[in-house]
Amino acid sequence: MIWEHCPKAAYAEYAVRAVKKHEKANAALSKLYLLPSLILQSAIVRLPPPLMTPPANDQQSLKDEIADLERRLEDAKARLSPNSAIEQVSTPTTDAALHALLLLSDSALPLGSFAFSSGLESYLAHHRPSPPSASQLPSFYTFLRLSLSTLASTALPYVLAGYRRPEDVETLDNDFDASTPCTVARRASIAQGRALLAVWDRSFKTQYSKTSAANGASNGGVHGGHSNAMESLSTFSAALRTSSDINAHYAPLWGLVSRVLAVPLREVAYLFLFSHARTVISAAVRASVMGPYQAQSVLADAELQDRIRGLVEEGWNRAVEDAGQSVPVMDLWVGRHEKLYSRIFNS
Amino acid sequence: MSFTSPFAPSTAKAGCGTIELAVLPPDSPVLRNVTYQYPLKLVAPDPLPPPEQHADPDTPRLIHAVFLLTYGGGIVAGDSIDLGVKLEGGTSLVLLTQGSTKIFKTLDPTVVSRQRMTVHLAATAALVYLPDPVQPFAHTAFAQSQIYHLENEGGSLCACDWVTSGRSARGENWDIHEYKSRNEVWATDVTGKKRLLLRDNLILDKHGRTGTQLAERMDSYSVFGTLIIRGAVFSTLSQHFLHEFEALPRIGGRNWGDTAEHELTPMEQKRALRQHREKEDGLIWSAANVRGFVLVKFASRDVEGSRNWLRDMIKEEGSILRSFGERAILCLK
Repeated sequence: MIWEHCPKAAYAEYAVRAVKKHEKANAALSKLYLLPSLILQSAIVRLPPPLMTPPANDQQSLKDEIADLERRLEDAKARLSPNSAIEQVSTPTTDAALHALLLLSDSALPLGSFAFSSGLESYLAHHRPSPPSASQLPSFYTFLRLSLSTLASTALPYVLAGYRRPEDVETLDNDFDASTPCTVARRASIAQGRALLAVWDRSFKTQYSKTSAANGASNGGVHGGHSNAMESLSTFSAALRTSSDINAHYAPLWGLVSRVLAVPLREVAYLFLFSHARTVISAAVRASVMGPYQAQSVLADAELQDRIRGLVEEGWNRAVEDAGQSVPVMDLWVGRHEKLYSRIFNS
Repeated sequence: MSFTSPFAPSTAKAGCGTIELAVLPPDSPVLRNVTYQYPLKLVAPDPLPPPEQHADPDTPRLIHAVFLLTYGGGIVAGDSIDLGVKLEGGTSLVLLTQGSTKIFKTLDPTVVSRQRMTVHLAATAALVYLPDPVQPFAHTAFAQSQIYHLENEGGSLCACDWVTSGRSARGENWDIHEYKSRNEVWATDVTGKKRLLLRDNLILDKHGRTGTQLAERMDSYSVFGTLIIRGAVFSTLSQHFLHEFEALPRIGGRNWGDTAEHELTPMEQKRALRQHREKEDGLIWSAANVRGFVLVKFASRDVEGSRNWLRDMIKEEGSILRSFGERAILCLK
């Protein structure tokens, strides 16, 4: 993404030169420091050539990337001297982010997500096992994989964009609405989006307005981006009551609210996919596909972790314009939920 | 004094084409402009009057049709086609293909063939685009986009976009590198401001971490399609799709024998017959009314299943045949 504006050949040449230069310098370093320097190296390769200034819309993703690289450097350093890591005291900033993350990941967060199966119920109705007593587990695993893939390709770009460009939230909301092809999915997304907005208005707003004001006073505008996000959220929330064009879809709002709560973006994206997996798995328990212990083991599974991490990686630089359906039959399952004879979920 | 050439400047860009429909006063729609460059070819047969003339002066006296062809009947790796269509108010166009759009294999998966169509519809113009499906062969990379711009949210549109799993006779089953198809409808107002009304973007590639072959995420369907309907001209057609979706039997429902059997009306007989065929062809579909559109999604086990179903649905309702002629559904025969 960063390199879009720069000729490929020049980039390659520059990268090679940068690596070579750095390798010479590295030769002098002891083996002990090799790990952090490797990370630095990758940072240098990715930095733009001196004369190029990236366009404004890339600035945020660049910032995110720098933050991520710094975090990885910290991690690597911590691994070098394990003792210091244990003794490391937590800072108020990381604690605040962790606190917000726990708030958002709580299944008691009143979003009403338990009412939606995201197509699982319809999928199971379309794949009746024969004989009827046979286990539906294998088809459930397929569904979970497909469902996560769909969510990552359709909604995740909007989460990332809502976080990175709070001022665009109304456009994102409109475009997400335009990209949601069926009534059932639309209803589910809007119900949860509005619930999230209500939680913000009634529960989080007081606390986080205070934090923002305090930060603004002490840092002299360093947190300008943060209060900007809060402003966008307030404007959006007010506009929802007056305009009929605004829907309040879940994905862009999830990004925006977590921006205001100052949760790091990578964790926001991870949590978005994880929450979806949890919702689908919990729906599976209630649809008698599996028991609660098995559900927890699916959630804890390293394969799920791996998949979510991979999906976040894949979608990290995907523009909202390129969001789209990767599992076309999913639209049909979700859309045909309305045609089920008996239903226990809203989607 | 400068000399101005009496000839239009030549736009000899490979794969580019334009179609422009205008109204010759007082009320004759004419093809003002049809240009194309290899590998794209456009064929415009004589316009025909619609079978049913309305008293309404807004309905055009002549319906134009244009065939979109490619040399060799398909798109070779690296080809890029770019078609611009512009319909003035009071004109109607039927866009057709001659057989499925075949996508030939690429040796290098990063070489993506492209086809782009940009359509501008004036407020009272109408477009019917019911082509044959796209048929990407094994080892192909293809991306297409159909972008429709509606002036002041007006204009009537009935466009289908469908894709098959490849040459099933040769055992091909979604063995493609990559397939992307994007349908977007934008509203433009007088000031030129644009607003996205609909985006239907299908992305089939190696991403998604499903850990399986592409074929496995298609749930053994070989055809996927989307039908986008909007505008006053197609209002009865969109109603028909919504009604029929409503009338589909409930999934998992049972006949408890407590409803009295009654004599079926001719309409109900047709419906029962079609639903029976849907079941036999393994066809599933859904229709939704979103943002002023009726969006129909369908999938079937083989091409003919979808083709027959689409044709039956459109024929049953009949308004397209009445106002655009038999030619409009030529690709569904």
